[in-house]
Amino acid sequence: MGYRAENLFRLFKAAAPTLLGVLGVLILAAPVRLFEGIAPTPIIPLVIVFFWSVYGPDYLPPLSVFLIGLLQDLLTGGPLGLWPAVYLITQFIVMSQRAYFLGREQKVVWIGFAFAALGAGLILWLVMSLMSGELLPLRFLMLQLAATAAIYPLFGVAFGELHRRVLVEA
Amino acid sequence: MEFLGQDRREGLGRKAHSRFVLVLLILVSVLLLLSSLYSAQASVFKKAREGVMDVASPVLSLFSGPISYVNGVVGSVGDYFNVMEQNKALREENAELRQWMNEALELRETMATYEALKGYAAPPQAQPISAFVIGESNDAFARSMIVNAGRANNVEVGQAVVDENGLVGRIVEAGGGASRVLLLTDIQSRIPVYIEDADIEGILVGNTRAQPVISFTASADDIEPEPGQRVLTSGAGGALPRGLPVGVVTGENRGDIAVDLYANYARTRMVRVINYAFPVVDPVTSEDEAASGEPEDSETDAAPETPAEG
Repeated sequence: MGYRAENLFRLFKAAAPTLLGVLGVLILAAPVRLFEGIAPTPIIPLVIVFFWSVYGPDYLPPLSVFLIGLLQDLLTGGPLGLWPAVYLITQFIVMSQRAYFLGREQKVVWIGFAFAALGAGLILWLVMSLMSGELLPLRFLMLQLAATAAIYPLFGVAFGELHRRVLVEA
Repeated sequence: MEFLGQDRREGLGRKAHSRFVLVLLILVSVLLLLSSLYSAQASVFKKAREGVMDVASPVLSLFSGPISYVNGVVGSVGDYFNVMEQNKALREENAELRQWMNEALELRETMATYEALKGYAAPPQAQPISAFVIGESNDAFARSMIVNAGRANNVEVGQAVVDENGLVGRIVEAGGGASRVLLLTDIQSRIPVYIEDADIEGILVGNTRAQPVISFTASADDIEPEPGQRVLTSGAGGALPRGLPVGVVTGENRGDIAVDLYANYARTRMVRVINYAFPVVDPVTSEDEAASGEPEDSETDAAPETPAEG
């Protein structure tokens, strides 16, 4: 492998979580209507922020998280700064609990993620309710958070493999 | 390849600065949020939104192809199970529509007779712009769609967007080749409407629920709306053309009138942006016209129909 190719590969490895986050935002902005819109689209960037905040904070620096959130705000048409704040606060809290999660069983981490998603949803709901001047209905948000928590084991395993085999080892 | 494995700090960030940068960026996003609350229409934010939408629209178009294919397959699996009921419902609806067709043909003939009368000036025709839905905000509180028609196709902010069922929403951002449609269910959506037969004017307010409500009603008489009555755009304020079908009244919801929308957002795929110019009445020229007795239709500049490729 030539010198240039190696450098490119290093860059790709360093940027992989960020790129995955961008892809997750694009999926959130695409007209994915699972089962005629009954099943909400999971918030995959939240999974990515959580996972790499626990297992490799160096791979997803705060600036990447900020940019992923900003892209989501711009594409979904919400108020600017909302999703960066949600993701960064999630990252802050998860990173402070990192020592607890490292080396734990995946079941425990999954429950941890469910709590993190609930916290993120709470921030989202509070801000949007303040903005609209009334307490907004929680039903769709809860469904979406449930869908996000439900897919966590699947994505957790996939990201784990990617992180262990490609990003750190190769 | 072996030496790469030894270097474990391959990430984009460096740990020593992480915590400080993180807190700083949280503050930046909160400030951004506060500033976007007070100046949502600031040109910097608007430019950023439109720019990102334009850049993302080819990618989203690429995505939407396979997505609609998968949705079609999954959807048709569901259709197999209720094909009999659907068939029966469609036959009944067809019979009903046939009666309406006869009535419409009769009315068309009557209208043609009236229009042939001297001195009749037709209202300006709406110029629909066809577009496909390429993006959708899958967000709990922000409800909007991105369509693949923009300023290049004469789409402008404020225009109404309809599909085959009825009103979908209105354009809130128009980029070069893509625009954002604010759906009727979004918390920011405010549409002037009236209830047919009940003579009630009001504002349709979105609240992220499936059924938006009519609040701020004004009625000349004390008429109560009844479930099943049609809700149409009123055209008040000159924002949207009058008479676009919105939905039907379903009942009361905490003092407001709940409306069941005709639009089915889970199925909205192709839409038309209504490029409608309200007739401008210039008192001087209209008197001149009345004097000369020649109706002129050159004043309503009709933009050519430009369907967006999709």
